[in-house]
Amino acid sequence: MSKFISPEVLENLLAFSLAVFMTSIFLLLLGVSPWDAFVAILEGSILGLDSLSRVLVITSVMSLSAFALIVTFSCNMWNIGIEGQMMLGAIGAVFVARTVVGDTLFAIPLMIMASMAFGGGFGILCGILRTKGSVHEIFAGLGLDFVAAGLIVYLVIGPWKKDGIASTSGTDIIPNMSWFPHLFEFKFPVIPVLLFATLYMTLKFIYSRTALGLKLKSVGSNPAAFSRLGLKPDTYILMGFLIAGAVVGLAGAIQVGSIYHKLVPYISGGYGFLGILIALVSDKKLSVAVIVSIFFACLVVGGSTLQIKLGLHASLPGIIQASIVLFWLIIKASSIHVKLIRLLSREYGTD
Amino acid sequence: MGLIEFEIILASIISMSAPLVLAVVGETISERVGIVNLSLEGSLLITAMIGFAVASLTGNVFWGFGAAAILGGSIALLICFANITLYINMIAVGFTLTILLGKLSSYLGQPFVRIPGPYVPKIDVPWLSDLPVIGRSVVDQNVVVWLSIVSIILSWWFLYKTKVGLTLNAVGENPYSADSRGIKVKVVKYVYGTLGGAIVGVAGASFSLHSIYGWSNGHTLNYGWICLAIVIFGGWNPVRGAIGAYAFGGLQIMALKLQGVIFGLSQVLPLIPFPLMIMSLILIQYSQDKQFIPNRVRSILFGNQPEHLGNTFKRG
Repeated sequence: MSKFISPEVLENLLAFSLAVFMTSIFLLLLGVSPWDAFVAILEGSILGLDSLSRVLVITSVMSLSAFALIVTFSCNMWNIGIEGQMMLGAIGAVFVARTVVGDTLFAIPLMIMASMAFGGGFGILCGILRTKGSVHEIFAGLGLDFVAAGLIVYLVIGPWKKDGIASTSGTDIIPNMSWFPHLFEFKFPVIPVLLFATLYMTLKFIYSRTALGLKLKSVGSNPAAFSRLGLKPDTYILMGFLIAGAVVGLAGAIQVGSIYHKLVPYISGGYGFLGILIALVSDKKLSVAVIVSIFFACLVVGGSTLQIKLGLHASLPGIIQASIVLFWLIIKASSIHVKLIRLLSREYGTD
Repeated sequence: MGLIEFEIILASIISMSAPLVLAVVGETISERVGIVNLSLEGSLLITAMIGFAVASLTGNVFWGFGAAAILGGSIALLICFANITLYINMIAVGFTLTILLGKLSSYLGQPFVRIPGPYVPKIDVPWLSDLPVIGRSVVDQNVVVWLSIVSIILSWWFLYKTKVGLTLNAVGENPYSADSRGIKVKVVKYVYGTLGGAIVGVAGASFSLHSIYGWSNGHTLNYGWICLAIVIFGGWNPVRGAIGAYAFGGLQIMALKLQGVIFGLSQVLPLIPFPLMIMSLILIQYSQDKQFIPNRVRSILFGNQPEHLGNTFKRG
């Protein structure tokens, strides 16, 4: 084996390649040429300045969702409530943008803070249901997702309705000063990228250097030993949900500030659920989550080229994403890739 | 409101809720044996699409239902295989499948979007349809509606009154004890997990062939999640689950009537089961701590969550 790449990384890389290969076969079965599809996606995503900017924005949204899920996964919690937390983050951002500060220089920093507070608050609600009400976090989260969706519909057709007419197409556009700015000619989305880079480094630091990170990890891996040490598991589970909600709340702020510039129903656009898939393949590793997010964001952005050039339906990128994850889960569990490595190393006599 | 009007409303509630009732019954059976089929949202979408597609191509609704049942069963079988044999977390697989199948239904269903096609015809039954109340609301309907009602009674009888039902419950409650009693835990999980999925498949087809004719993108949007909520609201009991489904159907009919009066009601309404689900889960837990509530009353009021629900069975 190579001295530069650890066997574990090589193993995961092989598993991922196998999953992409299986997905390609699946695409062939659907009557789509995988080569043409991947080339079109590549062309439509990173080979244009406009689309590259969109890839960066969506990568930020997806990475933040995946980070949030990695935090809760490390406490051994399924945060299905992620979509709702993102929606609340968006509500927080729009709430600030609609006030007097919305048209001032303070708008963006305050939107970011509000989205973290709203998302974190909603996250902790799920945590409270789990720890105090003993409601399984999957069902609590699912329920809260729809509660958040209902709240947005209520706001859009009720208190925040457009001037004159109430319509589910969304609220009024927020003031210009609360739009996240794009820098330079190629519309570099500076705020989303800064947000996700900061969060990446902060979480990396928390998990590798602080007692909090260690405790968050150990509450998931061995709750019994955790309480034997005199620590309260509930506190750290709540903390996990709070951090996750705040992190994904930022993704909601990006959806408002960089993409929609208003509040619309289902503003999370399914990116929260996609974040669950990304976190599943990332094996709780932040850096892997970023790489997978970039790949998935290319699929989303390049998907429109797929539609225009090859006339393929808009659902194809989602099919590719989900089938890669499904095959990856099966390959990892049945360790086909490990068997393949053994077979190859026996064949060529290298070890 | 006169009797006839009441009968008409009752009939439309029973008819409209039929697919949801079937889905709730199917999912309840799966969850009772410990398998959470979280792919429900995707499963319903793709089986609704396949059911309509096959029925249109063959011109026979029967084949549509058959294909949907086989597909629904196969999806559940895949989840069972992933969990029981490969020990993959069933939530992970179910969730991934939900997204995959939902997208796949849009992709494969393209040729069938908004085309006219076959549907389940109403059957005239002489004399019985003249009976008061049930004549119009139950008898004067089609096979799908009858099937949904029969499925409630059959599944209740099966789960609570038969020996195999007891075995199924034992596996869902404590697979390790069941295993030491000589029950083939994995086989039981496979069989009832798959059976539940097949019933969900029939439910999917009855969406496109009975309640909302035809196919369009996201045809059964959110019904899968709603069904998961109703199963919990029903305390994992098919009769209570069905009552939940009918209550939801009633709310929908009410929303149709009030659409002109209250704006946005149709958007907010599908979200109502979710807070109810959370509340019933809190009540279940709350009642568990209270010694003064007799067990019998507790299980009638709040239902019993299968102890091993969602967990992977791994021997030794």
